[in-house]
Amino acid sequence: MPALLEIKNLQVDFVSDETRVTALKNISFTVDRGEIVAIVGESGSGKSVTSLSVLQLLPSPPAQFINGEILFTKNNNQTIDILKLPKEELQSIRGNEIAMIFQEPMTSLNPVYTCGNQVMEAILLHQKISKEKAKQKTIQLFEKVKLPDPSGIFNRYPHQLSGGQKQRVMIAMAMSCKPSLLIADEPTTALDVTVQKTILDLIKELQQQENMGVIFITHDLGVVAEIADRIMVMYKGEIVEQGTVEEIFKHPNHWYTKALLACRPALHAKGERLPTVADFELTENIVGSIQSAVDKTSSTTNYKLQTINQSTSFIKVENLNVWFPAKKTFLGKITDYVKAVNDVSFEVLKGETLGLVGESGCGKTTLGRTLLRLIEPTSGKIIFDGKNILTYSKEVLREMRKDIQIIFQDPYSSLNPRLTIGSAIAEPLKVHSVITKEQQRKDKVIELLEKVNLKAEHFNRYPHEFSGGQRQRICIARALALNPSFIVCDESVSALDVSVQAQVLNLLNDLKKEFGFTSIFISHDLSVVRYISDRIIVMNKGKIEEEGIADDIYHHPQKEYTKRLIHSIPKGIIPG
Amino acid sequence: MIRFITKKLLYGILVLLGVVILVFWVFQGFADPSRLVLGQTGDSATIANIKKELNLDQPKWKQFTLYLNDISPLSFSNKEEIERKKLKGFFIGGENKLAIKVPYLRTSYQNKRDVWDILLEALPLTILLAVAAMLFATVAGILLGVLAAVKQNTWMDSSAIFTSIVGISAPSFFMGILIAYVFGFLLSHFTGLHLTGSLYDYDVNGKTLQLKNLILPALTLGIRPLAIITQLTRSSMLDVLNQDYIRTAYAKGLSKRTVIWKHGLRNALNPVITAITGWFAELLAGAFFVEYIFGWKGIGKVTVDALENLDYPVVMGSVLLSALIFVLVNILADILYGVVDPRVRLK
Repeated sequence: MPALLEIKNLQVDFVSDETRVTALKNISFTVDRGEIVAIVGESGSGKSVTSLSVLQLLPSPPAQFINGEILFTKNNNQTIDILKLPKEELQSIRGNEIAMIFQEPMTSLNPVYTCGNQVMEAILLHQKISKEKAKQKTIQLFEKVKLPDPSGIFNRYPHQLSGGQKQRVMIAMAMSCKPSLLIADEPTTALDVTVQKTILDLIKELQQQENMGVIFITHDLGVVAEIADRIMVMYKGEIVEQGTVEEIFKHPNHWYTKALLACRPALHAKGERLPTVADFELTENIVGSIQSAVDKTSSTTNYKLQTINQSTSFIKVENLNVWFPAKKTFLGKITDYVKAVNDVSFEVLKGETLGLVGESGCGKTTLGRTLLRLIEPTSGKIIFDGKNILTYSKEVLREMRKDIQIIFQDPYSSLNPRLTIGSAIAEPLKVHSVITKEQQRKDKVIELLEKVNLKAEHFNRYPHEFSGGQRQRICIARALALNPSFIVCDESVSALDVSVQAQVLNLLNDLKKEFGFTSIFISHDLSVVRYISDRIIVMNKGKIEEEGIADDIYHHPQKEYTKRLIHSIPKGIIPG
Repeated sequence: MIRFITKKLLYGILVLLGVVILVFWVFQGFADPSRLVLGQTGDSATIANIKKELNLDQPKWKQFTLYLNDISPLSFSNKEEIERKKLKGFFIGGENKLAIKVPYLRTSYQNKRDVWDILLEALPLTILLAVAAMLFATVAGILLGVLAAVKQNTWMDSSAIFTSIVGISAPSFFMGILIAYVFGFLLSHFTGLHLTGSLYDYDVNGKTLQLKNLILPALTLGIRPLAIITQLTRSSMLDVLNQDYIRTAYAKGLSKRTVIWKHGLRNALNPVITAITGWFAELLAGAFFVEYIFGWKGIGKVTVDALENLDYPVVMGSVLLSALIFVLVNILADILYGVVDPRVRLK
């Protein structure tokens, strides 16, 4: 019997006016019914191109299929080549026999139709049943993907649901016609760890019930250990290694696989330098021995901050409240609040990195922004330099902002696309008249670029020419331009691939050592926070749940909530 | 929702009050109304009489209060006033009555006709013209915009863009004359259309409906909104077609047509609605040039004629009417946003 999906020597090029980039280089693999095959690799490795090729969802132009076959065996045992399928036949397979779940549940559902409507649409498209029946079926599907109040959610719009719930609706939509092949393209990357775990469990459960074949795409090897049967590692458009989960995790052969396995912060002690893909590539080329790379990199920097206890208070937050109006009366009087930050008090010590963790909606980002007075608090005190910054006038506040900087989550939207990165980094210097001479400013910017491992020739380039990791480094350089004494990192590595995340974390550690700033590191990922912070504050529903030394919290959590957060982190270690 | 509309209506009343104040004081300064009513002849006794009749002998604040009382739907009036001004509505009380009435906009200086009647006669024609023009602009504009977006960077796209730029750049009085000349004169044999003409023709047989006279002014009026709607739809559609949910729709197995029209267009409509309602309000307030050029007897022509004759009650009335239309259309737009996009729908 032929495999459910067989891809043979597939090559995909992206062609524009002058350039031709080969995105996939002769890749071949098979997926069978009842197995979960994971494709792992960093952004740009070709893993998404592979998955989108199967459903022919790549925009063409620029995508061109140069050669190869995508053979799919339909339910009636007929094997077809998807690349040669006429449009109508392709449409009858999409969403019916092959379904797909995407990375961004926030944007993957159409905002103007109800969730029920969108799932029903898929059912009505492929099955000849009445509207009434389709509605019943949709509600059953919502039950199956464990959505609370299925008939209520049927009539709700996507923006009224949480991220995890939206992803469940997407899964329900994908499952609606009982596909024999499900493609999940980074389905949990944008979700909290706790939600990620439940979604992974759900996909696995459905796959076993329906005996589906699943292609699971991710950049995080840690995630796949819990779900996949086989793993393929992709790098620069090629499959560099494939095997069972056990083979890959216990005996990785290719240097890139080893690098991916090694660079996860969960495996490293605080402050220890994370090995990066570049380290492994270098060693592979020069010495050919991996072990030396690991030894070398892990021993290079190993700084510790033992002085926390004697350290003086740097910022002190007292009874801080940030409330947003939730309900208003006719005359605009506020009757109910969303308490995003609810009576929070804590201290940041001089020179430390304070980690702030919690699920989305717990108030950690609001808290971080309030510290800079980017959001005005309802009440409370923020004492910085002995003074309550909430009493500062606009002018004093401007002066203070020199000293406090923030690095945001999304490097794609936090840089102005119309400013060269040189002028983006120079802007704070100019605004605060720190350096008034154009040439000196340029020298300083180039110095900063080099500090974050970029080059002087990048000065006149625009943000779109850089990758996510590079952009985040540009944002870091911009934050450092004024030599601030305090930096808030708001989910600064969450949008990055694990391999790139390692580079940025290393960079942050190095810079901290050099510049000696105090920082708050906000993230939903406890393993990252544990790695980078001295102390951790766990937030839940606007309040502080637990507070303590990073390793203590991570290894000996006291509260149920913290335990649940830690339990949900994919361990990346196969049982047994 | 009801609360929202009430709130908007209250704001609207404030806006109207502002307009009334502005209109009243601005038109005070020009000419002497008693002279305008009477013409150049007339002795001082007649003028004094007219001044008394128009309350011009009263202090300004009192004139204003009286004016406000006249135009307000809720007012106090005595029996004699009701009779003289031919007020329509409900009246409660004895000699001095509380009235819930049709606003009284006073009478024209020129022909003594009730301003409300003059405007009411012109309004349906303007509404008809505006609706026709906007219908043409909206349907054609959205079609062209979607087409340009879907066929981005092809000759269809560039020609749609080129035409719309021409449309935006050409002033309507120029386009009006051009269109009237070409279709109403040069090609009159083929089109059967005339240079000018209103909805009704008056001749020996009485009045006859001439719907074909609507075509040219509606076309002329529609060109600019058409161009703008095309551009807005195109850019908004281009943005929407790159969204993740469009890919989801394709992954479901939907055909390109369903994806574009069902999933794409509705998401792209919000900025377009702003343009449509804005233009609609503007056209309802009177398309001065176009109505004038084509001799279409709508609000615009009435206003221009009144201005020529310094017939201030008519001008003031039409300004107030325009303001009212803007307020109402804006509320309509706010409701439409919610209909199209549930994210801005109010709880």
